[in-house]
Amino acid sequence: MTTLAGELRKLPAFVRRDFLVAWSYRLPFITDWIGLAFQAFVFYFIGLMVDPSKLPTFGGQQTTYLEFVAVGIAISAFMTLALGRVSAGIQQEQLAGTLESLLMTPTSPATVQLGAVFYDLLYVPLRTAVFLVVIALAFGLDFYASGVVPALVVLVVFIPFVWGLGIASAGATLTFRRGSGAVGLGVTVLVLFSGAYYPLDLLPSWIATLAEFNPITVAVDGMREPLLGGTGWDGVGKAVAVLLPLAAVSLVVGAVAFRSALRRERRRGTLGLY
Amino acid sequence: MLGLRHRQLSDAAAPAPAAARVVEADTISRRFGERVALAGVSLAVDGGRIEALLGPNGAGKTTLVRILTGLVKPDTGTARVLGVDTWDCPRDLRAQMGLVPSGDRSLYLRISGLENLIFFGRLHGMPKRRARDRAWELLELVDLADAARLRSGFYSHGMQKRLSIARALLTQPRVLLIDEATHDLDPEAAARMRDLVRRLADEGAAVVWATQRIEEIRGFCDRVTLLREGHVAFQGTVSQLIAVAAPRRYVLRLRNGRATGADLEPLLRAAVGNGTTIAAADEGDPEDYVLHLGDDVVLGTALAALTAGGVEVLGCREEVSEIENAYLNLARGKQ
Repeated sequence: MTTLAGELRKLPAFVRRDFLVAWSYRLPFITDWIGLAFQAFVFYFIGLMVDPSKLPTFGGQQTTYLEFVAVGIAISAFMTLALGRVSAGIQQEQLAGTLESLLMTPTSPATVQLGAVFYDLLYVPLRTAVFLVVIALAFGLDFYASGVVPALVVLVVFIPFVWGLGIASAGATLTFRRGSGAVGLGVTVLVLFSGAYYPLDLLPSWIATLAEFNPITVAVDGMREPLLGGTGWDGVGKAVAVLLPLAAVSLVVGAVAFRSALRRERRRGTLGLY
Repeated sequence: MLGLRHRQLSDAAAPAPAAARVVEADTISRRFGERVALAGVSLAVDGGRIEALLGPNGAGKTTLVRILTGLVKPDTGTARVLGVDTWDCPRDLRAQMGLVPSGDRSLYLRISGLENLIFFGRLHGMPKRRARDRAWELLELVDLADAARLRSGFYSHGMQKRLSIARALLTQPRVLLIDEATHDLDPEAAARMRDLVRRLADEGAAVVWATQRIEEIRGFCDRVTLLREGHVAFQGTVSQLIAVAAPRRYVLRLRNGRATGADLEPLLRAAVGNGTTIAAADEGDPEDYVLHLGDDVVLGTALAALTAGGVEVLGCREEVSEIENAYLNLARGKQ
């Protein structure tokens, strides 16, 4: 327990380091937010062309396209950003040449991996939440206040699922040196068939059926139900029940893959090479 | 999720008297593909001692240092630090080891030197305030306090190396593994760094000092392991290394008041006798001569003979330092 507590106490040091690094790149930090705002405008104008009656209802409530897509954007952007950064976290250390220095400290590989992405695991959900609040206020979206906490719970359960995938791909990147392209392709396919940007009904029926099992679909619908339909906790149970075991499997697979990759690289003596 | 397996150091790793064996490499071999990086290298360093790991580029110094840190697994043989196999690399052991890697890419270049040290201090388990205090102490020690808040990416190579050394000292380690520490430093900074490391050794730390700068090991290192193409070419004290230097050549500045240059040579040859040769130096002053001592002749005897022959010896220096001579012979495979 002392060890676990000791390891957890190291995480704020990673957060401070990564905040300072992010702050040293002020321009990308600011342009990220500007890009997000422009994206909202694009979907606002697309929404003016979309007939709301073509959209699915949530809790029996009709929604506008911007309300519908805002949750989709938030989750898909979260997925893309978080997965990309988690998988790239260790790669960055390797590229920068700092990975061996980290591993020379009395810090467990799991903490090194978590620390490498901990700032992003805090920042990206915060960015997602702020995006939803700002877009709701700016465009007068009708989100249910009672749905905010249940939606956040879905997001919180979704985080370890993404994290697990991220550390698995970080392990692959350690081994193969390149892997971000495959990760990006995988995320694009998952987002494409998730109903984040358009209703699944528009897809061929067999793909729509398969898409129901897509974890992003589960997370997006799990957040839309309370936020857009006002279903409170009723719509959340199913999403959590599906996402929790997926998150557990994802984390275990990711941790095993990462540890194996790390050990292999140490054995080969190529840990510091990229 | 966090790794809870936290192997304790064996009894052998408990605080030991300064003279105890701290670093041991036993017949270590390592290949990278077809290339043999190390072939049966053994090494032992006691607490309070500085072992020079000497050799030209590609001799295997960095590989050996990385094996001693547990970052690379040997193909055969074992590396033990404080009695623990470094491949197991328990966290307690890492807390006792300080590494100064050879490259300058091991720091976070977008944050300040101070923040780098605080970050690594906290990874060593220090509370924030303690990490900050220790960081300042070390920045003072390596003369970087004035640049503490400057982004380390703006540091010169020498400053980055000093920061790297400061980081290695965060925990007052019992083992210091230093790879090309003075490579980027000016002579004064290099001397200061050696003084610092000597002081740490005097306090009981075992130091492995990998270098290709032969001139810095005299008066600094206690023992030398010279690597050549992954093999141990020499192992012993610095004096023993010097003793294998042959031939022994000196540049003398001579005058006898009557003759100089070529006119003086026959007289000199007659004075030094068989086995020892002397000739005007190809370069330098007309009064400079190169004395090449024979196997059984000591420098004093040759100088006494010259003096007895009416020659004034105004100066005497090694043509190439004995230690450098020994290094070059051993590194090239001659002995």
